[in-house]
Amino acid sequence: MELIGERINGMFKDIKEAILNKDAAVIQYWAKRQEEKGAHWLDINTGPTVSPEEQPAVMTWLVQTAQAASTLPCCLDSTSPAAIEAGLKVHRGQALINSTSAEQSKMDIYFPMAVQYGARLIGLAMNEAGVPKDAAARAALAMELVVNADMHGLAMEDLYIDPLVLPANVAQDHGPEVIEAIRQIKMLASPSPKTVIGLSNVSQRCNERRLLNRTYMVMCITAGLDSAIVDMEDDLLVDAAAATEILLNRSIYCDAFLKTFRQR
Amino acid sequence: MALTGLEIFKQLPKTNCKDCGQATCLAFAMALATGKTSLDQCPHVSDAAREVLDSASAPPVALVKIGVGEKQVALGNETVLFRHDKRFENPCAIAVSVSDMLSEIEVYDRVAAINGLVFDRVGQLHGVNMVAVVNSSEDADRFALVVQTVAAASELPLALLSDDPNAIEKALAIVSAKKPLVGPANLANYEAMTALAKMYEAPLLVRGSDLNELASLVEKVAALGWKQLILDSGARSVSRVLADQTQIRRQALKRFRPFGYPTIAFAANADSMQAVLDAGVYISKYAGIVVVDSIDRADILSLVTLRLNIYTDPQKPIAVESKVYEILTPGPDSPVYITTNFSLTYFCVAGDIEASRMPGYLLPVDTDGVSVLTGWAAGKFTAEKITEMLNSCGIADRVSHRKLVLPGGVAVISGRLEELSGWEVMVGPSESAGIPAFIKQRWGA
Repeated sequence: MELIGERINGMFKDIKEAILNKDAAVIQYWAKRQEEKGAHWLDINTGPTVSPEEQPAVMTWLVQTAQAASTLPCCLDSTSPAAIEAGLKVHRGQALINSTSAEQSKMDIYFPMAVQYGARLIGLAMNEAGVPKDAAARAALAMELVVNADMHGLAMEDLYIDPLVLPANVAQDHGPEVIEAIRQIKMLASPSPKTVIGLSNVSQRCNERRLLNRTYMVMCITAGLDSAIVDMEDDLLVDAAAATEILLNRSIYCDAFLKTFRQR
Repeated sequence: MALTGLEIFKQLPKTNCKDCGQATCLAFAMALATGKTSLDQCPHVSDAAREVLDSASAPPVALVKIGVGEKQVALGNETVLFRHDKRFENPCAIAVSVSDMLSEIEVYDRVAAINGLVFDRVGQLHGVNMVAVVNSSEDADRFALVVQTVAAASELPLALLSDDPNAIEKALAIVSAKKPLVGPANLANYEAMTALAKMYEAPLLVRGSDLNELASLVEKVAALGWKQLILDSGARSVSRVLADQTQIRRQALKRFRPFGYPTIAFAANADSMQAVLDAGVYISKYAGIVVVDSIDRADILSLVTLRLNIYTDPQKPIAVESKVYEILTPGPDSPVYITTNFSLTYFCVAGDIEASRMPGYLLPVDTDGVSVLTGWAAGKFTAEKITEMLNSCGIADRVSHRKLVLPGGVAVISGRLEELSGWEVMVGPSESAGIPAFIKQRWGA
């Protein structure tokens, strides 16, 4: 289970201010902190306050600043292809692009970009018509992503499909559909594409957010979820991910399994 | 195993004509992958594509049988790269070569020796499975004569190895009823060889000079309509064979049809020690048949043992035979130890009794090969079962006393065991490592 630390995102007040003031210390604190907590990737998102023209420069600065403090690869999170490409140019190691949708115009930009920079790519199971209602429609869009990956020569293991999780309080019926979609996505190709979700979405504006996140993550891992964008400050969530790996026989059991999971 | 959506989509015509009732070819592929429609719905799919899609339901490695009757060898049906993932299904066949350059008497003696290469392992007989007659003389009549001699002298299935279709035809005319493996079919002779194999319904050995040639050759042979095949990539150095065996198995599991057959490997090293080690590699790494030149019992025993171990089911506990075992050289006054027939448990206890330097009898009760506490919890290691073994195994005639040592972990059954068996029960330590100290203090005290 790959955990993508969500914290370096301009939606958070301290990150937004750090970007405005070019305060590297805050970025580096969260880069290091999330690595210590057991993250495998650092999500990097400039946030909505940065203007479109400034996005590439801010992305470049964030990636370089974060990687100066941490050995982790980054998940470059932006809707601007220019910002993504700017991040890829300075990124050390194999980056993860977040994201393309199943719209052909977007796939035509991002798949060649991923192949060119040797990066991995998150593909959202949605298109211009919006977020699908049921599992079958999500899987059909995932299939479009799979076929495009195959066409462009992106290794199936480097494609992360996001079936799009919605909040439990307003879109409760989507919960089981996403789990079923994960199950189907894992069967679209062999080797199968990977799967990812933006976990915290499931509990937007709900009570007991961490309980909902943790429980839903375990359910999704059982269906075949490979990675999630998560709050690394939630120690019980990381514990649950470690325990699930053990119970699904994906890691060999040892008494110190919580510790070894965080040290991988 | 069902095909994935992507694999199906690649075989479809991609016309998006909607004749199948689905909006796009992609949607049709998805519907097929999930079993919601059938391939017949698409009128434009090619025969080649249909064949690929149909063959997906076949096992990744075909089952190929050599010989007839009780000694028939079945190979293939494998589904994993590593035995711990599931298990290796059909033990590889060990074949010993016989050259047709040998005199009649030499052939007879050699085959007699091969027939005797049978060993008792864990209470079962295991040995050599095939005789490989090699046409080294390049004389078709000579070959047929030696094949006839071998067939008359041995019940083992045969491999007839010659690249001369004429020699194979003459030999098959005599022994085709035994369904021998024939070949090799190569680029030069495959049409004649395939015709012979097909006519006599004999499994065919296909040999390429490398993996690429092998793959294309198999496709040609399959196109001629014969699919009882054994593969040989032509590699002879151990490193090359290991690489090729691995590729063939790996690609077969990925449904690359030309490699979906059992393989043959030749361990022909002049140094017999090296030949055994090479054969050991091939047994471990996916060979369907290993051909060796040795008839030395010492060489074959190690290979038979390795094969037995590699092809055991890792999910099933390994059991030892339930009988009286003598540790060191016990006499009528030596202690009697009770344990279970789980091999791990048995060997722990046997080792610790030996470490005590006091000879003893060890009685592993048949618990279907599970440990003491597992057997106790499952009702397989009870006072009744222990009493039954004490009465049936003849231990009472071999000792002058009536005292036994019970594992400390099941002290709770000691009372009932004493009542039922009439033996005095000494509760031993919970760990067998405590046996040396325990027996010195308590036995004869």
